Amino acid sequence: MKKVEENLIEMKNISELMLDLAYSSVLFSNREIAEEVIELEEKIDKLYEEVLSQILETCREGNESIDRAKIPLKVADSIERIADAALDIADVVLREIDLHPVVKKSIEESDEVMVRKEIKKSSFLDGKTLEASKMSSEIGMKVIAIRRGKNWAYGPSKNIELKAGDRIFARGPKESEEILDKWLGLKSE
Amino acid sequence: MVGDIVKKEKSKKEKEKEEDHSRLEPEDKTVRELLTEMKDNSELIADLAYAALVYDNRDLAEEVGHLESRMDNMMYQIRLKSMLSARNLDDAEQLSGLLQIASSAEKISDAAEDMVELLELDIDLKSMLPHILEKADEHIHTIRVLEGSDLVGKKIGDLAIESVTGVRIIALRRKGRWIYGPDGKDYIYANDRLIVGGVEEGYKKLRKVAKSKENWKGMKS
Repeated sequence: MKKVEENLIEMKNISELMLDLAYSSVLFSNREIAEEVIELEEKIDKLYEEVLSQILETCREGNESIDRAKIPLKVADSIERIADAALDIADVVLREIDLHPVVKKSIEESDEVMVRKEIKKSSFLDGKTLEASKMSSEIGMKVIAIRRGKNWAYGPSKNIELKAGDRIFARGPKESEEILDKWLGLKSE
Repeated sequence: MVGDIVKKEKSKKEKEKEEDHSRLEPEDKTVRELLTEMKDNSELIADLAYAALVYDNRDLAEEVGHLESRMDNMMYQIRLKSMLSARNLDDAEQLSGLLQIASSAEKISDAAEDMVELLELDIDLKSMLPHILEKADEHIHTIRVLEGSDLVGKKIGDLAIESVTGVRIIALRRKGRWIYGPDGKDYIYANDRLIVGGVEEGYKKLRKVAKSKENWKGMKS
């Protein structure tokens, strides 16, 4: 079941990233982010198929009872459906229809805000890794995507270095946006 | 006499209004308020479901059920209101996008509810799931708040827990009762048990303060 566990964890992580990306693609009417959600959904589908085969295989070999096998099966199924729902949200952005103005307002009024910020040239964040930036550990701002020129990093690892000119997309509590703005304005020494 | 008739008509109208309102239970909210709540719930409900599984906890599972039926109800309201507000094709198109987002949020709550149905099976979840879920990026933990901790008697919002630690309180248990998805106005008291989700470092930081081993530094002025 070790492989199953690893795949389930990856599915859970990806599904959470997808939902964050989906809502922010709506908020910023951003097609690129929406398209990434579609790609991640394909990844989830693949992982789901793998998990299914792995669970069935373990049962066939008699290493796991059917009852216990239901646990990862059901969790995988729910995660796959959550990912599907994220995809449907992103799909709204990809259709050529204007979004109802109420949609963005609703997302903005949520307890959790989605923000898009730029790393300025003189900022002390320039050259820091995500982990060293302490955005997540100190102010609860989770960076869900970074755009550098034409390139994107979705669900960036904590070792990625921020560079001046990067555009970061983050999710976090409302009161942290102000702190983040302050941080972004801080000059490097 | 005339006054009486007017009064009667008014009361009839009021009655109709009341009936209308009851059909739209529990509250009469705007489309915007409904959508905001549905989005927030879609994020909270998955956390609650994972927490229910990790702790093999029926109370949390039950709350997932409540939230899910609330989502169904909100979906119904938002659909009715959208239909009533469409005046032309452009409106209808825009609203169909809005409804697609709402129904996605509702789908997430369905998936979360199905997940907690595992608790009804007679299987020992503890031997498998905590193990799996604890390796994920986001961890779920419980923290007991001890007397003398800096957290005691303060509002969650004033403490700015999430923005200081990156950890959010999914639910808290006090004297046998649960408060789910508490907001900034809710207080923390001694002996509260918090169920939190978030990054590991933040959890450790919060636990130290809850155990009164460290002072809270992030108090909002």
